[in-house]
Amino acid sequence: MVYAPHYPIETERLRLRPFTRGDVDAVFAYRQREDVAQYLFDGPMSHESVTEVVQQRIGQYELTNEGDKVFLAAELKASPRVIGEVSLILRDGPARQAEIGYIFHPEFHGRGYATEAARMLLQMGFEGAGMHRIYARCDARNAGSWKVMERLGMRREAHFREHALFKGAWDEEFVYALLEGEWHHRAER
Amino acid sequence: MAMPDFPIETERLTLRNFHKSDLDAVMAYHALPEVQRYLDWKARDRVEVKAALDAMCAQHRLTRPGDALTLAVVRKADDMLIGQISLRWTDATAGQAELRFILSPAQRRQGYARESVRAMLDLGFNELGLHRIYARCSGRNQASAKLLKDIGMRLEAHFREHALFQGEWDEELHFAILDREWLRGSKVKELSHHMVA
Repeated sequence: MVYAPHYPIETERLRLRPFTRGDVDAVFAYRQREDVAQYLFDGPMSHESVTEVVQQRIGQYELTNEGDKVFLAAELKASPRVIGEVSLILRDGPARQAEIGYIFHPEFHGRGYATEAARMLLQMGFEGAGMHRIYARCDARNAGSWKVMERLGMRREAHFREHALFKGAWDEEFVYALLEGEWHHRAER
Repeated sequence: MAMPDFPIETERLTLRNFHKSDLDAVMAYHALPEVQRYLDWKARDRVEVKAALDAMCAQHRLTRPGDALTLAVVRKADDMLIGQISLRWTDATAGQAELRFILSPAQRRQGYARESVRAMLDLGFNELGLHRIYARCSGRNQASAKLLKDIGMRLEAHFREHALFQGEWDEELHFAILDREWLRGSKVKELSHHMVA
Protein backbone atom coordinates (compact mmCIF):
# COMPACT_ATOMS: atom_id res chain seq x y z
CA MET A 1 0.00 0.00 0.00
CA VAL A 2 1.03 3.61 -0.38
CA TYR A 3 -0.58 6.36 1.63
CA ALA A 4 0.91 9.70 0.67
CA PRO A 5 -1.54 12.43 1.63
CA HIS A 6 -1.38 15.97 0.39
CA TYR A 7 -0.05 18.35 3.07
CA PRO A 8 -0.90 20.47 4.92
CA ILE A 9 -4.04 18.83 6.24
CA GLU A 10 -6.36 21.35 7.85
CA THR A 11 -8.89 20.94 10.63
CA GLU A 12 -11.04 23.73 12.00
CA ARG A 13 -8.27 25.34 14.05
CA LEU A 14 -5.16 23.32 13.22
CA ARG A 15 -2.79 22.67 10.38
CA LEU A 16 -1.09 19.23 10.35
CA ARG A 17 2.08 19.10 8.28
CA PRO A 18 5.43 17.28 8.09
CA PHE A 19 8.16 18.49 10.43
CA THR A 20 10.82 20.93 9.30
CA ARG A 21 14.16 21.84 10.86
CA GLY A 22 12.66 25.10 12.08
CA ASP A 23 10.37 23.20 14.50
CA VAL A 24 13.09 22.27 17.01
CA ASP A 25 12.51 25.14 19.46
CA ALA A 26 8.73 24.70 19.48
CA VAL A 27 9.05 20.94 20.10
CA PHE A 28 11.71 21.49 22.75
CA ALA A 29 9.33 23.86 24.56
CA TYR A 30 7.05 20.94 25.52
CA ARG A 31 9.39 17.90 25.25
CA GLN A 32 11.73 19.34 27.90
CA ARG A 33 8.89 19.34 30.43
CA GLU A 34 8.60 16.76 33.20
CA ASP A 35 4.80 16.76 32.99
CA VAL A 36 4.94 15.91 29.28
CA ALA A 37 7.56 13.18 29.72
CA GLN A 38 5.73 11.56 32.64
CA TYR A 39 3.76 9.14 30.47
CA LEU A 40 6.18 8.89 27.53
CA PHE A 41 8.97 6.36 27.09
CA ASP A 42 11.52 9.16 26.84
CA GLY A 43 12.35 11.35 29.79
CA PRO A 44 12.43 15.15 29.51
CA MET A 45 14.53 15.82 26.41
CA SER A 46 17.56 18.04 25.86
CA HIS A 47 17.63 20.53 23.01
CA GLU A 48 20.17 18.26 21.34
CA SER A 49 17.99 15.15 21.41
CA VAL A 50 14.96 17.13 20.26
CA THR A 51 17.06 18.29 17.31
CA GLU A 52 17.80 14.64 16.46
CA VAL A 53 14.19 13.57 16.83
CA VAL A 54 12.90 16.41 14.65
CA GLN A 55 15.58 15.62 12.06
CA GLN A 56 14.40 11.98 11.94
CA ARG A 57 10.78 13.00 11.59
CA ILE A 58 11.28 15.37 8.67
CA GLY A 59 11.04 12.48 6.20
CA GLN A 60 8.29 10.54 7.99
CA TYR A 61 5.02 11.54 6.31
CA GLU A 62 4.01 8.54 4.16
CA LEU A 63 2.97 4.93 4.83
CA THR A 64 4.23 2.20 2.50
CA ASN A 65 5.58 -0.67 4.58
CA GLU A 66 4.66 -2.19 7.92
CA GLY A 67 6.24 -0.10 10.67
CA ASP A 68 6.20 3.12 8.65
CA LYS A 69 5.28 6.19 10.67
CA VAL A 70 3.69 9.49 9.85
CA PHE A 71 4.77 12.22 12.29
CA LEU A 72 3.13 15.61 11.87
CA ALA A 73 3.52 18.93 13.59
CA ALA A 74 0.23 20.41 14.82
CA GLU A 75 0.26 24.15 14.16
CA LEU A 76 -2.34 26.71 15.15
CA LYS A 77 -3.93 28.19 12.03
CA ALA A 78 -4.58 31.52 13.76
CA SER A 79 -0.94 32.13 14.71
CA PRO A 80 1.54 29.80 13.05
CA ARG A 81 2.82 28.24 16.23
CA VAL A 82 3.53 24.51 16.69
CA ILE A 83 1.65 23.38 19.81
CA GLY A 84 2.06 19.62 19.53
CA GLU A 85 2.66 16.56 17.40
CA VAL A 86 0.60 13.62 16.17
CA SER A 87 1.45 10.21 14.73
CA LEU A 88 -0.10 7.49 12.59
CA ILE A 89 1.84 4.21 12.48
CA LEU A 90 1.19 1.24 10.17
CA ARG A 91 1.43 -1.74 12.53
CA ASP A 92 0.09 -4.59 10.37
CA GLY A 93 -0.27 -4.30 6.59
CA PRO A 94 -2.42 -7.34 5.67
CA ALA A 95 -4.75 -6.87 8.67
CA ARG A 96 -4.78 -3.06 8.07
CA GLN A 97 -4.01 -2.10 11.66
CA ALA A 98 -2.66 1.30 12.66
CA GLU A 99 -1.81 3.09 15.89
CA ILE A 100 -2.30 6.79 16.55
CA GLY A 101 -0.64 9.05 19.10
CA TYR A 102 -0.61 12.71 20.11
CA ILE A 103 1.40 15.01 22.37
CA PHE A 104 0.40 18.61 23.04
CA HIS A 105 2.00 21.44 24.97
CA PRO A 106 0.27 21.57 28.40
CA GLU A 107 -0.42 25.29 27.95
CA PHE A 108 -2.83 24.30 25.19
CA HIS A 109 -4.56 21.41 27.00
CA GLY A 110 -8.26 21.58 27.73
CA ARG A 111 -9.28 23.28 24.51
CA GLY A 112 -10.06 20.27 22.37
CA TYR A 113 -6.99 20.51 20.15
CA ALA A 114 -5.94 16.90 20.77
CA THR A 115 -9.47 15.68 20.02
CA GLU A 116 -9.58 17.75 16.84
CA ALA A 117 -6.20 16.41 15.67
CA ALA A 118 -6.89 12.81 16.66
CA ARG A 119 -10.23 12.86 14.85
CA MET A 120 -8.33 13.86 11.72
CA LEU A 121 -5.85 11.00 12.32
CA LEU A 122 -8.78 8.56 12.39
CA GLN A 123 -10.17 10.06 9.20
CA MET A 124 -6.75 9.83 7.53
CA GLY A 125 -6.31 6.25 8.69
CA PHE A 126 -9.75 4.94 7.76
CA GLU A 127 -10.64 7.02 4.73
CA GLY A 128 -7.19 7.79 3.35
CA ALA A 129 -5.12 4.74 4.21
CA GLY A 130 -8.01 2.23 4.22
CA MET A 131 -7.29 0.89 7.70
CA HIS A 132 -9.57 -1.72 9.27
CA ARG A 133 -8.78 -0.98 12.91
CA ILE A 134 -7.02 1.91 14.60
CA TYR A 135 -5.89 1.80 18.19
CA ALA A 136 -4.16 4.03 20.72
CA ARG A 137 -2.48 3.26 24.04
CA CYS A 138 -1.93 5.33 27.13
CA ASP A 139 -1.07 5.12 30.80
CA ALA A 140 -4.22 4.49 32.83
CA ARG A 141 -3.44 7.57 34.96
CA ASN A 142 -3.37 9.82 31.91
CA ALA A 143 -7.05 10.75 31.95
CA GLY A 144 -6.49 13.68 29.61
CA SER A 145 -5.36 11.25 26.96
CA TRP A 146 -7.97 8.50 27.28
CA LYS A 147 -10.80 11.00 27.50
CA VAL A 148 -9.81 12.15 24.03
CA MET A 149 -10.19 8.55 22.84
CA GLU A 150 -13.59 8.23 24.49
CA ARG A 151 -14.80 11.48 22.94
CA LEU A 152 -13.87 10.03 19.56
CA GLY A 153 -15.99 6.95 20.21
CA MET A 154 -13.07 4.57 20.63
CA ARG A 155 -13.73 1.53 22.82
CA ARG A 156 -11.53 0.56 25.77
CA GLU A 157 -10.33 -2.87 24.66
CA ALA A 158 -7.68 -3.46 27.28
CA HIS A 159 -6.76 -2.54 30.81
CA PHE A 160 -3.44 -4.20 31.62
CA ARG A 161 -2.46 -4.10 35.28
CA GLU A 162 1.15 -4.29 36.42
CA HIS A 163 2.06 -5.92 33.11
CA ALA A 164 5.47 -4.22 32.90
CA LEU A 165 7.81 -1.94 34.77
CA PHE A 166 7.74 1.65 33.59
CA LYS A 167 10.24 4.15 34.99
CA GLY A 168 10.73 2.02 38.10
CA ALA A 169 7.06 1.49 38.94
CA TRP A 170 4.33 -0.93 37.86
CA ASP A 171 2.74 0.08 34.61
CA GLU A 172 -0.97 0.18 34.01
CA GLU A 173 -2.06 0.60 30.43
CA PHE A 174 -5.26 1.23 28.48
CA VAL A 175 -5.74 0.29 24.85
CA TYR A 176 -8.57 1.94 22.93
CA ALA A 177 -9.66 0.93 19.44
CA LEU A 178 -12.12 1.69 16.68
CA LEU A 179 -13.08 -0.45 13.65
CA GLU A 180 -13.69 0.98 10.19
CA GLY A 181 -17.36 -0.01 10.31
CA GLU A 182 -17.79 1.92 13.55
CA TRP A 183 -16.05 4.96 12.07
CA HIS A 184 -18.26 5.01 8.99
CA HIS A 185 -21.37 4.44 11.07
CA ARG A 186 -20.47 7.44 13.23
CA ALA A 187 -19.66 9.58 10.19
CA GLU A 188 -23.12 8.88 8.71
CA ARG A 189 -24.99 10.14 11.74
CA MET B 1 15.42 -19.23 37.78
CA ALA B 2 15.59 -22.15 40.25
CA MET B 3 13.23 -24.93 39.23
CA PRO B 4 11.37 -27.12 41.72
CA ASP B 5 11.54 -30.88 41.47
CA PHE B 6 9.29 -32.43 38.87
CA PRO B 7 6.90 -34.13 38.61
CA ILE B 8 4.18 -32.07 40.24
CA GLU B 9 1.35 -34.13 41.68
CA THR B 10 -2.24 -32.94 41.85
CA GLU B 11 -5.29 -34.92 42.93
CA ARG B 12 -5.78 -36.76 39.65
CA LEU B 13 -2.81 -35.67 37.55
CA THR B 14 0.94 -35.78 37.28
CA LEU B 15 2.69 -32.90 35.52
CA ARG B 16 6.08 -34.07 34.32
CA ASN B 17 8.72 -33.27 31.70
CA PHE B 18 8.19 -34.63 28.20
CA HIS B 19 10.14 -37.68 27.01
CA LYS B 20 10.98 -38.90 23.51
CA SER B 21 8.76 -41.90 24.18
CA ASP B 22 5.67 -39.64 24.32
CA LEU B 23 5.51 -39.42 20.52
CA ASP B 24 2.36 -41.49 19.96
CA ALA B 25 0.46 -39.82 22.77
CA VAL B 26 1.37 -36.32 21.54
CA MET B 27 0.61 -37.27 17.95
CA ALA B 28 -2.90 -38.28 19.01
CA TYR B 29 -3.88 -34.67 19.76
CA HIS B 30 -1.29 -32.46 18.03
CA ALA B 31 -2.24 -33.66 14.57
CA LEU B 32 -5.89 -32.64 15.01
CA PRO B 33 -6.82 -29.55 12.96
CA GLU B 34 -8.65 -27.98 15.93
CA VAL B 35 -5.47 -28.22 18.02
CA GLN B 36 -3.12 -27.04 15.24
CA ARG B 37 -4.02 -23.38 15.50
CA TYR B 38 -2.88 -23.16 19.11
CA LEU B 39 0.57 -24.58 18.50
CA ASP B 40 3.80 -22.66 17.92
CA TRP B 41 4.82 -25.17 15.27
CA LYS B 42 3.35 -27.22 12.47
CA ALA B 43 2.55 -30.72 13.74
CA ARG B 44 0.46 -32.37 11.04
CA ASP B 45 2.40 -35.61 10.57
CA ARG B 46 4.79 -37.86 12.43
CA VAL B 47 7.93 -36.02 11.29
CA GLU B 48 6.58 -32.63 12.35
CA VAL B 49 5.22 -33.95 15.66
CA LYS B 50 8.62 -35.52 16.37
CA ALA B 51 10.25 -32.10 15.90
CA ALA B 52 7.60 -30.49 18.11
CA LEU B 53 8.17 -33.10 20.81
CA ASP B 54 11.94 -32.56 20.64
CA ALA B 55 11.34 -28.86 21.24
CA MET B 56 9.01 -29.57 24.19
CA CYS B 57 11.50 -32.03 25.72
CA ALA B 58 14.04 -29.19 25.74
CA GLN B 59 11.62 -26.85 27.52
CA HIS B 60 12.31 -28.10 31.02
CA ARG B 61 13.54 -24.96 32.76
CA LEU B 62 13.36 -21.17 32.62
CA THR B 63 16.86 -19.79 32.27
CA ARG B 64 16.36 -16.57 30.36
CA PRO B 65 13.35 -14.49 29.25
CA GLY B 66 11.71 -16.06 26.23
CA ASP B 67 12.21 -19.60 27.59
CA ALA B 68 9.20 -21.84 28.09
CA LEU B 69 8.63 -24.57 30.65
CA THR B 70 6.39 -27.23 29.11
CA LEU B 71 4.99 -30.14 31.10
CA ALA B 72 3.08 -33.21 30.03
CA VAL B 73 -0.30 -33.66 31.73
CA VAL B 74 -0.65 -37.33 32.68
CA ARG B 75 -3.74 -38.91 34.25
CA LYS B 76 -2.72 -40.95 37.30
CA ALA B 77 -5.56 -43.45 37.03
CA ASP B 78 -4.35 -44.97 33.75
CA ASP B 79 -1.00 -43.20 33.22
CA MET B 80 -2.33 -41.70 30.01
CA LEU B 81 -0.82 -38.50 28.61
CA ILE B 82 -3.82 -36.25 27.97
CA GLY B 83 -2.30 -32.86 27.22
CA GLN B 84 0.33 -30.25 27.93
CA ILE B 85 0.72 -27.03 29.84
CA SER B 86 3.40 -24.38 29.72
CA LEU B 87 4.69 -21.15 31.18
CA ARG B 88 6.65 -18.82 28.91
CA TRP B 89 8.81 -16.31 30.77
CA THR B 90 8.13 -13.12 28.85
CA ASP B 91 9.68 -10.45 31.09
CA ALA B 92 12.30 -11.08 33.79
CA THR B 93 12.46 -7.69 35.50
CA ALA B 94 8.68 -7.38 35.69
CA GLY B 95 8.17 -11.09 36.54
CA GLN B 96 5.71 -11.83 33.74
CA ALA B 97 4.83 -15.18 32.17
CA GLU B 98 2.28 -16.50 29.73
CA LEU B 99 0.31 -19.64 30.55
CA ARG B 100 -0.81 -21.95 27.75
CA PHE B 101 -2.43 -25.33 27.78
CA ILE B 102 -3.81 -27.92 25.41
CA LEU B 103 -5.95 -30.82 26.43
CA SER B 104 -6.72 -33.70 24.10
CA PRO B 105 -10.29 -33.02 22.83
CA ALA B 106 -11.38 -36.51 23.97
CA GLN B 107 -10.46 -35.67 27.59
CA ARG B 108 -12.20 -32.34 28.00
CA ARG B 109 -15.06 -31.34 30.30
CA GLN B 110 -13.74 -33.33 33.26
CA GLY B 111 -11.85 -30.55 35.03
CA TYR B 112 -8.38 -31.74 34.04
CA ALA B 113 -7.47 -28.43 32.42
CA ARG B 114 -8.56 -26.53 35.53
CA GLU B 115 -6.61 -28.87 37.80
CA SER B 116 -3.42 -28.43 35.77
CA VAL B 117 -3.87 -24.64 35.44
CA ARG B 118 -4.18 -24.39 39.24
CA ALA B 119 -0.97 -26.34 39.67
CA MET B 120 0.87 -24.11 37.21
CA LEU B 121 -0.33 -20.90 38.90
CA ASP B 122 0.87 -22.34 42.23
CA LEU B 123 4.19 -23.18 40.62
CA GLY B 124 4.53 -19.78 38.95
CA PHE B 125 3.73 -17.71 42.01
CA ASN B 126 4.89 -19.88 44.94
CA GLU B 127 7.98 -21.54 43.48
CA LEU B 128 9.10 -19.25 40.69
CA GLY B 129 8.13 -15.96 42.34
CA LEU B 130 6.43 -14.48 39.29
CA HIS B 131 4.48 -11.23 39.62
CA ARG B 132 1.82 -11.68 36.94
CA ILE B 133 0.67 -14.59 34.82
CA TYR B 134 -1.50 -14.05 31.77
CA ALA B 135 -3.25 -16.27 29.27
CA ARG B 136 -4.72 -15.52 25.88
CA CYS B 137 -7.52 -17.28 24.09
CA SER B 138 -9.68 -16.83 21.05
CA GLY B 139 -12.95 -14.99 21.62
CA ARG B 140 -14.65 -18.07 20.17
CA ASN B 141 -13.10 -20.46 22.68
CA GLN B 142 -15.76 -20.15 25.36
CA ALA B 143 -14.59 -23.16 27.34
CA SER B 144 -11.12 -21.73 27.91
CA ALA B 145 -12.48 -18.25 28.64
CA LYS B 146 -14.83 -19.67 31.27
CA LEU B 147 -12.09 -21.74 32.87
CA LEU B 148 -9.71 -18.77 33.15
CA LYS B 149 -12.43 -16.53 34.55
CA ASP B 150 -13.67 -19.14 37.05
CA ILE B 151 -10.16 -19.74 38.34
CA GLY B 152 -9.94 -16.08 39.30
CA MET B 153 -8.15 -14.51 36.37
CA ARG B 154 -9.36 -11.09 35.24
CA LEU B 155 -10.39 -10.29 31.68
CA GLU B 156 -7.92 -7.52 30.86
CA ALA B 157 -8.32 -7.25 27.13
CA HIS B 158 -10.78 -8.06 24.39
CA PHE B 159 -9.21 -7.20 21.05
CA ARG B 160 -11.67 -7.21 18.18
CA GLU B 161 -10.52 -7.85 14.59
CA HIS B 162 -6.99 -6.93 15.61
CA ALA B 163 -5.29 -9.45 13.32
CA LEU B 164 -5.93 -11.92 10.51
CA PHE B 165 -5.75 -15.61 11.26
CA GLN B 166 -5.97 -17.94 8.26
CA GLY B 167 -7.95 -15.37 6.30
CA GLU B 168 -10.41 -14.53 9.05
CA TRP B 169 -10.59 -11.72 11.58
CA ASP B 170 -9.23 -12.79 14.91
CA GLU B 171 -10.73 -11.92 18.24
CA GLU B 172 -8.50 -12.30 21.26
CA LEU B 173 -9.10 -12.30 25.00
CA HIS B 174 -6.38 -11.70 27.59
CA PHE B 175 -6.80 -12.90 31.15
CA ALA B 176 -4.35 -12.14 33.95
CA ILE B 177 -3.77 -12.55 37.66
CA LEU B 178 -1.22 -10.97 40.01
CA ASP B 179 0.79 -12.83 42.64
CA ARG B 180 -1.00 -11.19 45.59
CA GLU B 181 -4.41 -12.00 44.10
CA TRP B 182 -3.58 -15.67 43.59
CA LEU B 183 -1.88 -16.10 46.97
CA ARG B 184 -4.75 -14.38 48.80
CA GLY B 185 -7.21 -16.68 47.01
CA SER B 186 -5.21 -19.77 47.97
CA LYS B 187 -5.10 -18.72 51.65
CA VAL B 188 -8.86 -18.21 51.74
CA LYS B 189 -9.34 -21.69 50.33
CA GLU B 190 -6.96 -23.21 52.86
CA LEU B 191 -8.72 -21.45 55.68
CA SER B 192 -12.21 -22.47 54.63
CA HIS B 193 -10.96 -26.02 54.18
CA HIS B 194 -9.72 -26.02 57.80
CA MET B 195 -12.96 -24.58 59.07
CA VAL B 196 -15.02 -27.23 57.32
CA ALA B 197 -12.68 -29.93 58.64
